[in-house]
Amino acid sequence: MVSGAEAVRAATFANGMRVIVWPVHNIPNVALYNWVRAGSRNEAPGATGLAHFFEHMMFNGTSRHPPGDFDRLMEAEGGANNAFTSDDVTVYQDWFPQGALELVLDLEADRVAHLAFTPEVIENERGVVASERRLRVEDNSQGLLAEQVQATAFVAHPYRFPTIGWPADIRSWRLEDLQGFYRTYYAPNNLTLVLAGDVDPERAIALARRYFEPIAAQPPPPPVRAIEPEQLCERRVLIRRKAQTPILQCAYKAPRAADPRGPAVSLLLCALVEGDASRLHRSLVEDRQLAIEVSGHWQEGFDPGLLWLSIMLPQDADPEEAREALDAELTAVAADGLTEAELERARNLAAVGLWKKLATIDGKAQLLGEYEVFHGDWSALFEAPARIAAVCAEELRSVAKEILDSRRRTLGVLTSAGS
Amino acid sequence: MMVRVPQHERLSLGNGVALILVPRREVPLVAFNAVLRGGALGDPPSRPGVASLVAGLLEKGAGERSAYAFADIVEGVGGSFGAGAGAEAISVRGQFLARDQRLMLELLADALLRPALDGGELEDLAARHIELIKAAKDSDPAELIDTYGRAFLFADHPYARPVFGSEASLAAIERQDVLRYYDEQFGAERLILVLAGDIDADLLARGAAESFSRWPRTVAPVPAPAPARALAGRRVLLVDFPGSAQTYFWVGNVGVDKRYPRRAALDLVNTLFGGRFTSLLNTELRIKSGLSYGARSSFTRGSAPGEFSLRSFAQTENTGRALELSLRTLDRLRSEGLRREMLDSARAYILGQYPLGLETDADWAGALAEIELYGLGKSYIDDYPAQLAAVGVEEAQAVIEEAFPRADSVAIVAIGDAARIRSEVTGFGPLSEMALTDPEFFPPKVV
Repeated sequence: MVSGAEAVRAATFANGMRVIVWPVHNIPNVALYNWVRAGSRNEAPGATGLAHFFEHMMFNGTSRHPPGDFDRLMEAEGGANNAFTSDDVTVYQDWFPQGALELVLDLEADRVAHLAFTPEVIENERGVVASERRLRVEDNSQGLLAEQVQATAFVAHPYRFPTIGWPADIRSWRLEDLQGFYRTYYAPNNLTLVLAGDVDPERAIALARRYFEPIAAQPPPPPVRAIEPEQLCERRVLIRRKAQTPILQCAYKAPRAADPRGPAVSLLLCALVEGDASRLHRSLVEDRQLAIEVSGHWQEGFDPGLLWLSIMLPQDADPEEAREALDAELTAVAADGLTEAELERARNLAAVGLWKKLATIDGKAQLLGEYEVFHGDWSALFEAPARIAAVCAEELRSVAKEILDSRRRTLGVLTSAGS
Repeated sequence: MMVRVPQHERLSLGNGVALILVPRREVPLVAFNAVLRGGALGDPPSRPGVASLVAGLLEKGAGERSAYAFADIVEGVGGSFGAGAGAEAISVRGQFLARDQRLMLELLADALLRPALDGGELEDLAARHIELIKAAKDSDPAELIDTYGRAFLFADHPYARPVFGSEASLAAIERQDVLRYYDEQFGAERLILVLAGDIDADLLARGAAESFSRWPRTVAPVPAPAPARALAGRRVLLVDFPGSAQTYFWVGNVGVDKRYPRRAALDLVNTLFGGRFTSLLNTELRIKSGLSYGARSSFTRGSAPGEFSLRSFAQTENTGRALELSLRTLDRLRSEGLRREMLDSARAYILGQYPLGLETDADWAGALAEIELYGLGKSYIDDYPAQLAAVGVEEAQAVIEEAFPRADSVAIVAIGDAARIRSEVTGFGPLSEMALTDPEFFPPKVV
C-alpha cells in the first residue's frame, strides 16, 4: 500500500464542487490542480478548439482584476502557474509557497465566478493560439500527422477534433461562443480542486469553501451522447511534406480510462515501447534498425479512445517495410501474449513509475485528480500498486488480442514530399 | 521554513573519487548521479559528438553483460540507467527500487570501469543519432536553435561545438576516437558519485570503495576553456526552413560563468527580463502584442562564461517586427533599469519556486554533484535566500551592465523561410546563410 491515504481529506461543497487535500510537508510548497470537466470532447464543428482557447482566456482578467493581475499577483507572492487542455478536461495548475494559499484560492475562485470578456484581449489571444498551433502542428511533422490520424480514427465521436482547434475555427470564435461555454462548463459542480503539499487540510478546505462555495451551481453540462460505432476496417492517412525523415503512427481503438482492464492496457503499452528492452524498441530499432525511435501512449479518457504507437524512421526508409515488421511483432503479441519476463519487467517499471510521481507534490496532486475525475474516486490511486501486481499473463494476452486488431486501427504515414 | 542542503556524507577515496551519500526516506527508491569532469570539452575540435557517443555506449555492453543483457537487468527490476554528455561533464543517472541498490552500484561500476565500447554498437548509435537530428529538424526546429546559436556566437571557442555532434561529425567519428576519449578523459579524480534516497549508506560506501578505489587517475588535466571574447557589433545567421509557418529566433552574446559573484542579482534580473510569464520580454511578445506563444531568456554558465540568450518565434510575416521588439526590450532593460518593487516581486517568485526543484532524491543528487563539480560549497544553496534578500537596485543595474548584452552587440539566428524573410533580417546586421538540412550547425566560413 502507498502510505498517505489516511492523511487525505475530501469534501463536497453545497454547490457540488469537490475538494481533495493531501498534506505533505517535505518542502514548504503547495501544488494545486483545478480540474474542469471540459475538453475538445465537448465541442462542435465550427467551434473546435474552444476548450483550449478558454484555457488561455482564464488568465486574461475578471470584473475584479484587470488583465495581467492574475499572473502579476501570483508571481509576486512566489507562485507560478500553467494549464493544459486535453480531449476530456482542462486543468489549471499552480505551484506556490504555502503562505500564498489564500491568495491563490481567491484568484482561482475569482476567475471561475467573474471572468471578463474584453474584445481586444480576445483578438490578442487568438494570435497567441495561432502561434501555438504553428509550433505544435504546422511546423511539426509529428503533430501534423497525429492530427490527421485522430481526425480519421473517429467518425461520430468528438474525439476527432484537434484540441488546439482547426485553423478556420481559431479565426472565427465569437464572444457568444465563449460566454456560453463559460456558463456551461466553468460551474462549481463541474470542478474538482486538488491540493497537495504543506497545508493543514482542515484549514485548506475551510479556505476553499470560503471562496468557492458562494459560486452558484449550474445545470449539469449536456452529456456527450455520441458513441463511436465499431470500426470495420483499417483506415490509412498518407501525408507528403518537405521533411527528411518519415514517420509511421498507429492508433488502435482502446478502452476508456475507467475500464477494469486499464492496468493491463498500461502494462501492454509498457512492454511494447518503454525502455531499450521493450519488444518494439528491441525489434525495430536495435535488431532490424528499421526505426530510430518508438514511443506510445494510451489516451485515457471518459470515453473509449486510442492506443497510439509512433515509429520514427530513418531518412530513405520504406515505411511499408517498417509497417510489415511492426505488424509481425504485434501479431505475435496478440496471438501469444508476453513472456513472464516481459510481464515482470512491465510490472516493475510501472511500480517505479508510480513511486517517482508520488515523490513530488506535483505528482501527488495530478494522480489524485486523475483518479477522482476519470475513475470516480481518488482513493483508487492507493489500490493502483496492487492492481498492477495482479495483472496476469492471460489477462494481458486477451487485452492484446482485442486491441491490436488491424481492422480497428488507423495508420498514418508521413513521407518526404520529394519521395 | 527554507530549503537547506540535507544531511549528507562526503568521502574522498585515495585516488580522488568524490563520494557523496545522501540518506533520505521519502519513497522506497534510490537515485545515483555519477558526474565525470571533461564532457564535450574533451572532444577533438574537428569531431564534436565523441563524448556524447562514449556516454551512449556506456550501457551498450559493460562488464560481463552484452548491451541486451544490460538493458534486460536494469529494466527487469524496474530501474532506469542513462548517460549523456554535457559541455563540461558526462553524467550517468538512474533510479532503482531500494531493494536493488547493490545491483545498481554493480551496474554503474561496470559501465564506468569496464564498458565494451564495441565498434558495431558505435556504428549503430552514431547512425541513429544522425537520424535523430534530422527528425528534430522536421518536428521541432526550435529545439535546435541553441545549438545553432552557440556555433554562430562562439565560432572557434570550444563552447561553439555541438555537444550531441552534427550529422557530419557523427558520420566521421571512428572507434579510435571513442577509445582515445575513454583513455584520456575517464579516471578516478574526474568522478563525482552521488547516491541519494532510501540508501544503506554503510553498504554503499563499502561497495563504492571496493569498486572504485583501484581505478587509476587520468593522465591529462581536465580541459579548461579560456573565456571567450564577447561579440562586438551585430551579425545574423539565417537558417533556411522552406515553407515554415513561423520564424524561430535566438539572440545572444557571451555572458558570465558559474562562479559569477552576483549570481543572486543575475537570477533576479533575468527573472524580470525573460524568466517568467510576466517578464518584460513575454509581456511584449505575447501578452501585449499576441505575436508569439512565448519568449524566454536565460544564462548558460560554465567554468568559463557561457551565453546569455533570448528565444522566441513569430509568424513568418511578423519576423522583423518580433525581432525588433525583442531588441528594443533588451535596450529598455538597460536604459530604464528595474524598480525596487519589481525586484521584490522577483525575489518572492524565486524563493517561492526554488524548493520545487529540490524536492526528490534525483534533484538532490543533481544539485550536490553540481556544487562539487564547480567547487561552489553548500552555501550556494543554503545562503541563496540571504543573497537574494540583499540585492538592491544598484546591484541589479551593475548586473545589467556586466552580464546582459547591448542590443547593438548580439548574434542573431533566425530559422525560417529564407525567401520570405531574407530582406527583413538583412536589416539587422551582416548576414550569413545556411540551410536547415545542412549536415553542420556551423555556417559556412565567410571567404
